[in-house]
Amino acid sequence: MTTKSTREAAMLAIQELAREDDKIVIVSPDAVAAARATKFREEFPDRVIEVGIAEQDAVDIAAGLATTGMKPVVVSYAGFLTMRACEMIRTFVAYPGLNVKFIGLNGGMLGGEREGVTHQFYEDVGILRSMPGVKIICPADAQQAYLAAKAFMEVEGPAYLRLGSGREPEVFPEGTPFEYGKIREVKSYGDDVAIFATGFIMNRAIEALEQLHNEGVNGVLIDVSTVKPMDSAGVAAVLRRTNCAVAVEDHNFYGGMSSAICEVACHFHPSKIRRLGLRDVYPRSGKAAELLDAYGLSVQDIVDAAKDAMVKE
Amino acid sequence: MNADELSRIANRLRLDVVETVHDAGDGHPGPCMSIADIMSVLFFEEMKIDPANPKWAERDRFVLSKGHACPILYAALARKGYFPMEELKGLRSLGSFLQGHPDMKKTPGVDTVSGSLGNGVAIGTGMALGCRMQNIDNYVYVIVGDGEEEEGIIWEAAMAAAKFNLGRLIVFADCNNHQSGGRVTELSSLYPVEDKWNAFHWHVQTIDGHDITAIQNAIAEAKKVTDKPSLIACKTTKGKGIPYMEDNNAWHKRVPTDEEVEIAREALKDKM
Repeated sequence: MTTKSTREAAMLAIQELAREDDKIVIVSPDAVAAARATKFREEFPDRVIEVGIAEQDAVDIAAGLATTGMKPVVVSYAGFLTMRACEMIRTFVAYPGLNVKFIGLNGGMLGGEREGVTHQFYEDVGILRSMPGVKIICPADAQQAYLAAKAFMEVEGPAYLRLGSGREPEVFPEGTPFEYGKIREVKSYGDDVAIFATGFIMNRAIEALEQLHNEGVNGVLIDVSTVKPMDSAGVAAVLRRTNCAVAVEDHNFYGGMSSAICEVACHFHPSKIRRLGLRDVYPRSGKAAELLDAYGLSVQDIVDAAKDAMVKE
Repeated sequence: MNADELSRIANRLRLDVVETVHDAGDGHPGPCMSIADIMSVLFFEEMKIDPANPKWAERDRFVLSKGHACPILYAALARKGYFPMEELKGLRSLGSFLQGHPDMKKTPGVDTVSGSLGNGVAIGTGMALGCRMQNIDNYVYVIVGDGEEEEGIIWEAAMAAAKFNLGRLIVFADCNNHQSGGRVTELSSLYPVEDKWNAFHWHVQTIDGHDITAIQNAIAEAKKVTDKPSLIACKTTKGKGIPYMEDNNAWHKRVPTDEEVEIAREALKDKM
């Protein structure tokens, strides 16, 4: 499977939009290189606001810019934004509903795999999901990241785009659409079980769907690319078909997509749902594939969880 | 407007604060009094604002970083005509647009959310950058407390604003040497604060923050400096103008009794 950078793809989309809209600026706490925004800076040197290694400052400056009608995009590592600058996002951007966009890099264990826990972030979605008014988008691969970045710039108000390491597998065929706020059926063999997946764990979810099919279990794979607002009607419709599901994410299993799916299920269609994510632990440094396998996110883990979800109790 | 008139307006605002906090039954009166003279100069002389058009793109911007002093901001806005004076009674009440700390989406004339301490300089920096990028000919004024300069983000913003040569950013530091928990000089090593802003490459002045003419002159001086942001360290007295509040930190957050309101009226009646 080939890999392509979600970081480059998203930034290309923003650079294209910036040609049409001179209000778009990048605010960087020394993250231009990390966010692959060097080409943006070459084309628009006056529209990259480099504040130095100071995420809280970056978010507040973006808030100030937005009050004047500018459209700032703050780029940094997911945790430095959502944890170090958490209050600034909440109080000075989300509360007044300012039009500030956030791109969080190294989302998930896979994002900063070899860097270790200081640079792996699996709490970002949970943190932001608890803030009223913040939209959260987790594209599955680079082509989706490109479309997601375009969509998120169109959404009014604060929004967060979760990206990874820049080495994400290309999982969807060319031309795969992206629709903000909607789940999407990736592939369906039947209604035995649903697999909900978000972000760049999607390659493993696809493999698990195929393996299940080969073993006689015919499931449906759903891409949950918008985690907030959650497409409750769409999720409920899937659960009405399958009555059971597995939800897979590269995030701590509190607060993220799988929590959101369960919240929908509780309300609309109580179902047996098995959740796969980090089991409330801090992982270690390691190679990406080894790390995911070691922490319960292997293809076999997904397959086993799907079968377990199907067992009537 | 001459200094005497502006001083009278400052005292009028002080009494408005006493009455507002009394009527609302909650709020921070003491921190309002030390900035009353600065507020008078800014809102009744200096700032290019239009109460009939609070969102006017070309307006000067104002950030009350020490947002707990919002009763005096609300009083200034009401007296400027942004909303009727009787709205002040609603402070901190459900149904009122006057929140416990400033909220740009609820209150006409308020340019940002503020009150979580330390954030105003960074937000003002963003405003000044945004206005400059859009060729808006204006100034951004920020008032910070001295205690809140203990927050790290103040200095992150100080670095950024200097790097961007934001000559249109003018910050008043309300140096009343009090914060919620006591004297600033006892709780931190902030002072001498001017040295720190100088070290961050700001244009720095020190004035008596209750001297209207000094405030006017300092703003004029700050405007002459076009390549550096300006810090005006204002030596002030917390509770200034209200006899029982002066330099008494018990009035950081406290509600005056009926009798205390009368004492304030008496103290200010010939000075408004």
